[in-house]
Amino acid sequence: MSALAWLGVALLGGIASVARFELDRVVQLRIGGEFPFGTLVVNTVGSFALGVLTGLGATDDTAVLAGTATLGSFTTFSTWMLETERLGEDGESAYSAANIAVSIACGLCAAGAGWALGAAL
Amino acid sequence: MNDDCLKLTVYFGESDRVGGHLLSNRLLEVYERHRTKASLLLRAVEGFGLKHKLHTQRLLTLSEDLPLVSIAVDSRERIEGMLDEVVGLVGDGLVTLERARLLTGEIGGPLPAALPHEQTKLTVYLGRQERVGRRPAYLHVVDLLRRHRVAGASVLLGVDGVVHGSRERARFFARNAEVPLLVVAVGDVSAVAPALDELDGSLADPLLTLERVRVLKRDGRLFAPPPRVADADEHGLAIWQKLTVYAGEQSRHGGHPLYIELVRRLRRAEASGATALRGIWGYSGEHAPHGDTFWSIRRRVPVLALLVDAPEEVQRLWPIVDELTDETGLVTSELVPALQAAGGGARSGGLRLASRLHRP
Repeated sequence: MSALAWLGVALLGGIASVARFELDRVVQLRIGGEFPFGTLVVNTVGSFALGVLTGLGATDDTAVLAGTATLGSFTTFSTWMLETERLGEDGESAYSAANIAVSIACGLCAAGAGWALGAAL
Repeated sequence: MNDDCLKLTVYFGESDRVGGHLLSNRLLEVYERHRTKASLLLRAVEGFGLKHKLHTQRLLTLSEDLPLVSIAVDSRERIEGMLDEVVGLVGDGLVTLERARLLTGEIGGPLPAALPHEQTKLTVYLGRQERVGRRPAYLHVVDLLRRHRVAGASVLLGVDGVVHGSRERARFFARNAEVPLLVVAVGDVSAVAPALDELDGSLADPLLTLERVRVLKRDGRLFAPPPRVADADEHGLAIWQKLTVYAGEQSRHGGHPLYIELVRRLRRAEASGATALRGIWGYSGEHAPHGDTFWSIRRRVPVLALLVDAPEEVQRLWPIVDELTDETGLVTSELVPALQAAGGGARSGGLRLASRLHRP
């Protein structure tokens, strides 16, 4: 990988994580409540975008830049896990389990739909 | 005992800064420089202020600027002496002054005669690893209070503070033995007085305060709604009211944690603010003391949720508090004789003490 691609990874990754932070916060403040909708929306959107990208058949550097750098830092596994654990701490075991199940369901559907869309384009 | 003491409380944000320094740090520096008898910095788990922006440790993106509460207790003279400096530092935030009795050294004695009211709030300031015999002092104090049938007690861990004039702050890699914590208890004076006598004999260097309080509800039983107080004293100085809900993390309303529901409902009702603080140990009424256990994911620690507002606002918001505490929780009301609030460009209140005439 070229130095330029590395630079791109750093730059795009940075921008994407800021975008994730903002989207997460806006969604959470808009919807409110206990359930971490912000993270769910972020991860679903990210899965969809990665699906589209893969469906399009992106090549080497593009795939690294858009997939690993941008979407990799846009979506967040650690926050998803942390918030699930916090729900457990609060005794919200139903929400805790739902956060896992709904995220997986939404993520898989979004990635699948994205892939289909990308392949059709 | 010093009857003429004040408790200065500042509610602000963790990331608030003044002149490039963290506000929390600057405030504690002021308390340290004035060799304050007791001060403590508490980190809340959830809350909102005048801007109605929710901060909570539950959701990562909303946890970057958690509410902080700093408390400083000393003689009226000392507190008033540092007031201008403190107010000068605080931008957006809430500053309150409350009357308190400060007890140091010999704390026992004829307490009931000195307290004309029936219920009192006792706050004991301790070091995090202070011990009585071989046990942590806070466990000893909680057990003692429970044995004397004081209605409830919660232990709150400070992250920074000044005890007997010396600064002790928590660090990431340290034992943090001297960092202060407080035990806050509410009960009848007839139960607290003998507890104080016994505390006197067991603590090496006791430092505690007594404040006037009224218990409104306990475990769903209503004793009295928040008293209707005048909105100003005879000189026109505004009077404010504080409601506190002491509940367990496991306390629930409609299947959800009580404190989360309470903060959410108060925010939706456009209250001017609410703050929730999580303790590490405590009890209420007949229930056994509880805290977290190693093998449980679910937390069992006490949580305090509080709001300070104008008397008419407290009356407006009371139905929400009343509804949510229909089964559990200890609810108290206190008078706040001075308050200054700023947020979103607005500033209200002032820090001249309203007179004592009005009962809580």
